[in-house]
Amino acid sequence: MSAAGNVRLIAAVGGSAAFLIAASIFLATIGRPPLTTLWQMVLYAFGDSYSLSESLVKATPILLCALAVILPARLGLITVGGEGQLYFGALTGTAIVLGFPTAPMPVLLPAMMLAGAAGGALWSGLAGLLRARCNVNETISTLLMNYIAVLLVNYLVYGAWKDPNSLGWPATIMFPQAAIVPSVFGTRAHAGLLIGIAAAILLHIAVTHTRWGIALRVLAGNRKVAAMAGFGFVGQTLLVMAIGGALAGFAGICETSAIQGRLQAGLSVGYGLTGFLVAWLSGQNFLRAIPIAILIGGLIAAGDALQLYSKIPSASATILQGLLFVAALGASGLAGRRSARHD
Amino acid sequence: MIEADALATAGSWVAAMLRSSTPLMMVTLGETLTQRVGIVNLGVEGQMLGGACVGFAVAAATGSPTLGFVAGAAAGLLLSFIHAALCLGCEANQIGSGIAVFTLGLGLSSYFGRAAIGGKVAGLAPLADSDVAGLPFVGPILTQLTPIAPMAIVIVLIAGFWLFRTRTGLNWRIAGESFQTARALGIRPMLVQAQGILVGGMLSGFAGAILSVDYTQTWANEMTKGRGFVAVGLVIVARWNPFLVLPVVLLFGVSEAATLRLQATGLTLSPYLISCLPYGVCLACVILVSLREGRIGGMPAELASVFGRRR
Repeated sequence: MSAAGNVRLIAAVGGSAAFLIAASIFLATIGRPPLTTLWQMVLYAFGDSYSLSESLVKATPILLCALAVILPARLGLITVGGEGQLYFGALTGTAIVLGFPTAPMPVLLPAMMLAGAAGGALWSGLAGLLRARCNVNETISTLLMNYIAVLLVNYLVYGAWKDPNSLGWPATIMFPQAAIVPSVFGTRAHAGLLIGIAAAILLHIAVTHTRWGIALRVLAGNRKVAAMAGFGFVGQTLLVMAIGGALAGFAGICETSAIQGRLQAGLSVGYGLTGFLVAWLSGQNFLRAIPIAILIGGLIAAGDALQLYSKIPSASATILQGLLFVAALGASGLAGRRSARHD
Repeated sequence: MIEADALATAGSWVAAMLRSSTPLMMVTLGETLTQRVGIVNLGVEGQMLGGACVGFAVAAATGSPTLGFVAGAAAGLLLSFIHAALCLGCEANQIGSGIAVFTLGLGLSSYFGRAAIGGKVAGLAPLADSDVAGLPFVGPILTQLTPIAPMAIVIVLIAGFWLFRTRTGLNWRIAGESFQTARALGIRPMLVQAQGILVGGMLSGFAGAILSVDYTQTWANEMTKGRGFVAVGLVIVARWNPFLVLPVVLLFGVSEAATLRLQATGLTLSPYLISCLPYGVCLACVILVSLREGRIGGMPAELASVFGRRR
């Protein structure tokens, strides 16, 4: 096995062990039997076809948001804007549905999905433009823009877009049947998942097997050389940010249409942040992000089930994600340092 | 009498502005000191949440706001210890580690804060009681402000003086500029960086406790609403200089207070749109200073490898 593969294996094993220990300590602290609860979570995540479908439902926006982090990372950009792009995509996609509620499905459905992707691309592209043109750190701008996008959705669903018949609940009208993203395999999982997996595979091929992929790698290291080959930093930054944002925005409109059936406040439970976590756990690799997104989707679905059946608050899923992130960062950092020392 | 009214209004404006910007002042100062030693900590948002939650719970249980502040600072310190262990002990990426600490702080405060939801604490007493309320200008300030705001200003001034005028402050600045120089001078940069992270953690936890115990006097999930991330942006605007933290945060407070007042004058604007303002103003300030980055400088050199322009 290659040295890099070896380091990754040590990091994965060490990180998993550290996570299991930390998670057990947390569960014991809140008075739950650790091993039983962890096993219960595995069953709630993947134990039967219903659990599996719920896990895939959660994995869909997470995977798309992870791709939105990984592609800019190829250029050395660190974005934490998945959440905002998801919300803004949901907003622009919903605008189409509310504008043309009676349009036939072959027109409305693609128009809505494209508008959602365009909204996400715009929100993320703005941060890309600020980075490329004004030298504004993209991590800061995307973090701040997350809050603005969530507030804009709130502004609309509490205001102009509120369904008068919703009895005060901040939500738009239910989407017409022609604007519902179709489900797949006869479950609640929807077409967004297939598109997410296809996008991950395509992006993987694009960055590993094309001239463009090489250009991104060169740009991340040395801008002058890349410019000589005809790849400018400004254009490429805009491009990777826009493609990433489009995927996250697409996740937003799919979640709105297929899962919730209308735009409402609190549309996402931190999928953007979880996507960031998945991107890092995958080592910024498109293909590895697919199984990891499904695993973390399972963790969140299991958190929901635990809340329902065992009365453990769903915030525990956030804590477990945090512990997993700490364990993974610590293990991969330590493994990398050891290998650097042996070289 | 019209003049007296105007003075009284101005006084309560200043008071409102100072009260709302005190938490931000402390967290921005903390992040400034952390970044001075070459470390970015995005976990401040989670540390603030931890400080707000623990500070509120302790203040509600003991009835003492002071104990709440101490407990909040301790909570921030503990969470920042994770960042120090990951960045310095494991050489993990600082941005990733910061987001991990944020996630943990968010989860832990939402989980353990459930018991405190709906609780009430008595904040600190105002600087003066209502006898002086009639005094022009200073009257409203003295009756509406608690001792925490002047204390925060003094802490910022002391920190600035310490950083620029003492030997240990110089050591911190050297470590942030160049590890090699620091080592050559017999300073251990790792040790200084650990101190920088922990001091930043303490101040952000304190800031969270000010928010929940003194300002809103309640606890709610995610109540910091991105103030920690705003602080990271304002550090750039303040050019990593504690003295500049004061005017930057106060200007920020003015813009916030102004919109709230505008709304009170009958301008009908959705509260959700108004809530966008802090993030928009912060982003606009960061854009303005980033445009002139090359000319005004001020970024600690060791920070540039994590955070700066990569050319």
